[in-house]
Amino acid sequence: MTAATPTAGHPLHTRRDVLLLAGPTVLYLLVFSVFPLLYSLAISFFDWNPTTSSFDWVGLGNFTGLLTDPVFWQAAVNTAIFTSVSIAIQVVLGTVLALFFNLRLRGAWFVRGVLILPMLLTPVVVGLMWRALLNPDWGMVNWLLGLFGLPQPLWTADPAVALATLVIVDSWQWTPFVMVIVFARLQALPQDVFEASAVDGANRRQTLLRITLPLLAPAIAFAAIFRAIDAFRAFDVVFGLTYGGPGRLTTTLSFYTWENGFSFQQYGYASALAYVMVIVATIAMSLLVRVVSIRREDAA
Amino acid sequence: MTGRILERALAYLVLVIIGIIGFAPFVIILILSTKARFQIATEVPPTLVFDLAQIEKNYRDVLFQRGFLGYIWNSVVVTALSVGVSLVLATPAAYAFSRIRFRGRDRAASTILSLRFMPAVAVAIPVMLMMRFINLDDTLPGLVIPYVAFSLPLVVWILIGFFDEIPRELDDAAMVDGCTRFGVLNRIMLPLVRPGLIVAAIFAAIFIWNEFLVGLYVVNSQGLKTIPLGAAGLISAERPIDWNIAATVGVVTIIPIFIFSLFIQRYIVRGITAGAVK
Repeated sequence: MTAATPTAGHPLHTRRDVLLLAGPTVLYLLVFSVFPLLYSLAISFFDWNPTTSSFDWVGLGNFTGLLTDPVFWQAAVNTAIFTSVSIAIQVVLGTVLALFFNLRLRGAWFVRGVLILPMLLTPVVVGLMWRALLNPDWGMVNWLLGLFGLPQPLWTADPAVALATLVIVDSWQWTPFVMVIVFARLQALPQDVFEASAVDGANRRQTLLRITLPLLAPAIAFAAIFRAIDAFRAFDVVFGLTYGGPGRLTTTLSFYTWENGFSFQQYGYASALAYVMVIVATIAMSLLVRVVSIRREDAA
Repeated sequence: MTGRILERALAYLVLVIIGIIGFAPFVIILILSTKARFQIATEVPPTLVFDLAQIEKNYRDVLFQRGFLGYIWNSVVVTALSVGVSLVLATPAAYAFSRIRFRGRDRAASTILSLRFMPAVAVAIPVMLMMRFINLDDTLPGLVIPYVAFSLPLVVWILIGFFDEIPRELDDAAMVDGCTRFGVLNRIMLPLVRPGLIVAAIFAAIFIWNEFLVGLYVVNSQGLKTIPLGAAGLISAERPIDWNIAATVGVVTIIPIFIFSLFIQRYIVRGITAGAVK
């Protein structure tokens, strides 16, 4: 801008404008998001239990305590399995569903609407709801399996199945999320590529593998990372469905952190646990930010 | 030709099956909510015989005795306030991030996005302590304050996407005509970004409506519980769950969301894909 008189776009005004426009939000987040995160970090260096009013500096004691805590390791393994298997299922199933809905069948919009519903539901209620459906004595799922003479697992009680049950319920709720993203991308794909490949005599399988899926890859990656970060923090569904059991077999990191902070009142230890999660989430996020920024450049 | 027709028919069959799988859980829960406690375990599958008196009893029990009417009201109040405050704070911020070049802008924007993914357990204890410090623990404002902090990153991020889609020439033209930044935002951008405000409001609302973990830390009183906290109250180690009541809770809490979803489907798709798909 070459204007000599200060207009609204002038640097002096700009600085004031940014402060007034973005300042309140930034300030709010500093006070109620960033500060609590730092507060957590500080607490993690203390042995703090309000019920026994102990409050002692332990340095990295809580973190070294984690290393020898078998439940922490169990929770870490559970979380890793839960996250990776859930994401794998949701990405594959979500993509298949998106491709299916791309056939543009009549009435498909209605079915899509029904499939979107689980995403909106309160996870605690979803957990409760599936506890009823999966009840080994009178649940409809096992009744149905029985009709076909299939095995009827003790979904939430059998140590061999409980974590898988968590994965199934999470996938019921969140596969549609992947579907929505991939479907939207499918609809936005340039049609000329497909016409060209048809002219060149590509069959449907070739078109899918060589053209459609590579074009969808960024959207799929975005959905996968997004979901992974959410699955990594899973708490509500565990609370509603299995409460971390049987034993510790479905205790996720979030659930164990909450137990320590809320039930055992071990604020220091819980904060150390939480910080391990923050570090992992931060790494995952830097991945996501990269994917998102790539998308933003594409759009520009 | 017959191959194509067969294929089409098969596709429709699959569609119907997907629809049934998607819908059946809700129907079953709806049926379970009409039964008496003993019928849950004795009627497998549950019969389609409905006893109006029993239905009334279950729903009265859930809504009044167990206080879910109050929980729903608390959820509405907390969600409405949090979403309102978030939008008021986030709209100008998103506008600034979208339009004005300033030092540290990209870093600030990606930091705000990254806050969206922080595990809630990592801030739950400090948030509780902070609310206690300002005497707002176990109050609804004590929920609203952290919920605004949780939804701000999401709202800012969605709105940046919508502001980006509005041509910059509009701002420039208005500012050449002597309009200030605030004038531009107020008179020109706000009407144009309305769909974005709706999408952002919906997503913030869904998130806040379902928030559970921080609620557990902040609220203790029965009368201040939101829906997730109330539903969690059914799960206790000492007593077996009354499943007819649990199913009724399910229906009562799902119906508002169901009605809501009928009106917002297209916005949901836009919100989820904001940033992912252009």
